[in-house]
Amino acid sequence: MDILESIKVALEGIWVNKLRSALTMLGIIIGVAAVIAVVTIGQGGRAAILSSLESMGTNLFVVYPSSRNATTPITRQDLITLEDVEAIKNIVPTVKAVAPTSYLSIMTQVGRQKEKTTIICTGQDYKSIRNLELVEGRYFTSEENNSRRRVAVINEELAKTYFSGESALGKQVYLMNTPFIVIGVVKNDPSNALGFGGDPPKEATIPFHTGETLFRNLRIQIEGQTYSKEEVQETIDQIVKLLHKRHRNEGKYRGYSLDQEVATANKILGIIALIIGSIAGISLLVGGIGVMNIMLVSVTERTREIGIRMALGARRRDILVQFLIEAVVICLVGGTIGTILGTGGALAVALIAKWPPLITPGTIFIAFFFSASIGIFFGIYPANKAAKLDPIEALRYE
Amino acid sequence: MIKISNLTKVYRTGAISVTALKGINLEVAKGSMVAIMGPSGSGKSTMMNILGCLDRATSGSYIIDGVDVSTLQEKELAKIRNHKIGFVFQTFNLLPRLTALKNVELPMIYAGIPSKERRERALKALDKVGLADRIHHRPNELSGGQRQRVAIARALVNNPAIILADEPTGNLDTRSGEEIMDIFQQLNQEEGVTIIIVTHEREIADHTRRIVHFRDGVIIKDEEVLTPISARTTLAALPPAGEV
Repeated sequence: MDILESIKVALEGIWVNKLRSALTMLGIIIGVAAVIAVVTIGQGGRAAILSSLESMGTNLFVVYPSSRNATTPITRQDLITLEDVEAIKNIVPTVKAVAPTSYLSIMTQVGRQKEKTTIICTGQDYKSIRNLELVEGRYFTSEENNSRRRVAVINEELAKTYFSGESALGKQVYLMNTPFIVIGVVKNDPSNALGFGGDPPKEATIPFHTGETLFRNLRIQIEGQTYSKEEVQETIDQIVKLLHKRHRNEGKYRGYSLDQEVATANKILGIIALIIGSIAGISLLVGGIGVMNIMLVSVTERTREIGIRMALGARRRDILVQFLIEAVVICLVGGTIGTILGTGGALAVALIAKWPPLITPGTIFIAFFFSASIGIFFGIYPANKAAKLDPIEALRYE
Repeated sequence: MIKISNLTKVYRTGAISVTALKGINLEVAKGSMVAIMGPSGSGKSTMMNILGCLDRATSGSYIIDGVDVSTLQEKELAKIRNHKIGFVFQTFNLLPRLTALKNVELPMIYAGIPSKERRERALKALDKVGLADRIHHRPNELSGGQRQRVAIARALVNNPAIILADEPTGNLDTRSGEEIMDIFQQLNQEEGVTIIIVTHEREIADHTRRIVHFRDGVIIKDEEVLTPISARTTLAALPPAGEV
């Protein structure tokens, strides 16, 4: 009996048990759909996060005091000063721009409304380093910084919270009971895309020197930009070296680049995808066991049929192939439907979340390969059981 | 055609062994029609299974059409069953989900015959047993007699060396049974098909030309039937059947 006839016989077998075949298929459909959806959504989300991280520019770097590699804790003498920042700007040739930056979390106030806000005290170059886009108004200038003006550039999220819809320009925002004039609104920082799900954080940026008078003892970290991505690591090393020399200490500064951030994010997202994918894989496994279960029932139920077929000249191999193909066809049809559903689901999610829909032929190929393998893996035992039946016993089976 | 010499069959279940056949010698000539009779436990079912190549003898030889099947492997036995033997069972053993036509095509599928030829041959075989108008019916849409005729068509379709019928009329009323015997007699007389019928009914056995009696695993009598009953004559004498 050739393979085409075997497939025909198997299809007939599936067709006569429509409901049962459909229910068995359902397990595979759900399993495959889950795997495809999770993998595809995972890839899309990852691509979305990485692209928004990279949109900030991978030539970004941050250097800050850290006692992680030091034998003694950080003291006042170790803190980065504005003079250090000036020195870096003048000495390290690969630095394109640099800004002393300090982050604080305080309550701000407009009228009676109070909101927890991240205050960024920084230099005028922060805008270009972070690649920030203005929605309205302007960024503060170095003169405003030097003359300690009480001006603030707030992000869209904070503007929306306080001035919903209205222009924020010229409005007053109170920081530590001190009024600041809003001179500009910037788009939300895309680097916060990592915290997807929640609202973006509310931020207000003020000139560094203004911040100094308002908050004592600001702890500076250096945020900067090199001319090219390749120079980032070298630049960090040079800055750390320079700082150690200036402060006559050792192991007190660390730096990281956005490039490293991206790599770390990529790794974490990969692990998350793997874990969720494995869980989805378990449902596929359960579906496969369902197939085996039904095939075993089917073999018992059709013992007589097997006996008849053997009496009419079916070899054991023909019986084995018949049942194996039945299992594989159930899995392949289920796999196809599951792939369509999973892909559809993933597309819907991508559409809603505005992620790039990443459906690779690889994913679909894997789904197919997987369902066929499950069919063979879980079909071989029942099929073998059928093929091993004694024709005389099988014919007598009631 | 069929030559069985010194054939024994021993069943072992644990420590107990039962000898079902004790040195059988039997020859069946091509084109003959033979009945095997015997009470239950006489070994006639075992004989039937071995003749049908569903089972293998413990010792002795069984030659069918010049092939010694006692030495064959499982795979080759399946081929012998497919090519040389046509089974007719008491319970018909048709596949319930398949139409009459598909049931008759089944042995040819395993013989590797292309689908067009299969259909032609199946139609011819069904026509031969008088079911040309029932080819698309499923077994449950057919009467017992019709089902058995489908089974006979299926047994015939690969042109086997012998047709083995195991109590073929056991589940049928007198008239249907007689019709089946008529078909067997026609096939035997007109086409020279070799037919072996296992039965415990003397009346059925009397339709053949030779009766082999089994008891306790041996042949106790090999009798020739001088004037076999003609099913056709009997049928003519029966009152006409109401529609079944």
